[in-house]
Amino acid sequence: MRGDAARSVDISIGAGESRQLVFIALPGQAGTIDCSVSVRFTGEGGDCQMRGLYLAGGSSRVNFRVNIEHGVPRCTSRQLFKGILAGQARTEFFGLIKVPERCIGTEAYQENHNLLLSDACRAQSLPQLEIYADDVKCSHGATFGRLNADELFYLRSRGIPEAEARKLQMIAFASEVLDGLPEDIVSQAHEILESLI
Amino acid sequence: MHASVEEREILRGINLTVRRGEVHAIMGPNGAGKSTLSGVLAGKPGYTVTAGDALLEGESLLELSPEERSWKGVFLGFQYPTEIPGVSNTAMLKSAVAAHRKAQGLPELSGSDFIKLMNSKLALVKMDRSFLSRGVNVGFSGGEKKRNEIFQMAMLQPRLAILDETDSGLDVDALRIVGEGVNSLRTDENSFIVITHYQRLLDYIVPDVIHVLYDGQIILTGGRELALEIEAKGYDWIINQHNG
Repeated sequence: MRGDAARSVDISIGAGESRQLVFIALPGQAGTIDCSVSVRFTGEGGDCQMRGLYLAGGSSRVNFRVNIEHGVPRCTSRQLFKGILAGQARTEFFGLIKVPERCIGTEAYQENHNLLLSDACRAQSLPQLEIYADDVKCSHGATFGRLNADELFYLRSRGIPEAEARKLQMIAFASEVLDGLPEDIVSQAHEILESLI
Repeated sequence: MHASVEEREILRGINLTVRRGEVHAIMGPNGAGKSTLSGVLAGKPGYTVTAGDALLEGESLLELSPEERSWKGVFLGFQYPTEIPGVSNTAMLKSAVAAHRKAQGLPELSGSDFIKLMNSKLALVKMDRSFLSRGVNVGFSGGEKKRNEIFQMAMLQPRLAILDETDSGLDVDALRIVGEGVNSLRTDENSFIVITHYQRLLDYIVPDVIHVLYDGQIILTGGRELALEIEAKGYDWIINQHNG
């Protein structure tokens, strides 16, 4: 998704089925991207792996709403959403995981990590876990941080110019999401990273 | 030179001249200011030089950024090398070597020449090629991290290498590999400041001069034999002499 975009994705995953979803949101300097994702498991043993990256600078906005319903037992879902924010960008990640009482053997993990490059940007993370079943493995985690100063000094002490060192750090942060994606998407994302510095 | 960290004066008048081709060892008890000295020379943020200067070939380093100091030939071997997940050793060194060559007005190295260069330097520190694709220092043992520092030093060929407690956390084998790596890089043109707590590294890297740093000042300078004396008698006699 680039610039201004609103996307709504509904997915149902059947018994033993495995799905991988990747979301890349590049709103640029002024765009707004709204993306809502609903995943329903309709058969046992389903698996959903979700990765997302948002790179938001300027006055851009990104909203992710992820809704996962573990409606049947023994399904697995994994979410990893990462964001890099600069300027006055605002982002919101809302992630709901529902596990009804009968859905034992569920595994659901959610992570949302945010790298804040400016003082004026704002990232929000709203994880919601509604778990009514015993015998499940669920976790969520959200972090908000800045580029690591020790890493930056180490890279610069090797002669890498500051802007390039920051870019390396940002590429490293995004690599968990970007690894294995087609080259043109990766290079588009890297280009945007550069513009955020 | 005087330098402070968070308003506290740590270096309280250091006078040190290292000539081309010389290896100087700086020894001293914990808290003497050894790591502050290395940080100040490499341009680590948070250190303020309050008086004096640091010159490399007559040119002041203090106004230069860490990367500019690196281009001029300063290298810091870290006491605790930073782990950088997601940035491979190769990616870091590619950037670093390219920036160095650009600063020196040299053309970019071709991909195959760069790999050849890395392979030849890896051999110096007996590191496996698999280290190259791993995240910088990520999951490296203590000895591997220090060998990686020496490897990077070999890649960048500094004029002044400051090795900050490179021996800490090393077993005898790693110590020997690090020592041999450093020795093979010694020339009449480059200089080393080897900061160490113990004498044992100096069995491998033989210094021309030994300084004892205490309370932010060099309180004694001597030859190689000084290290043996410190090993046998500790620092107290020197400190007492200084205070006395």
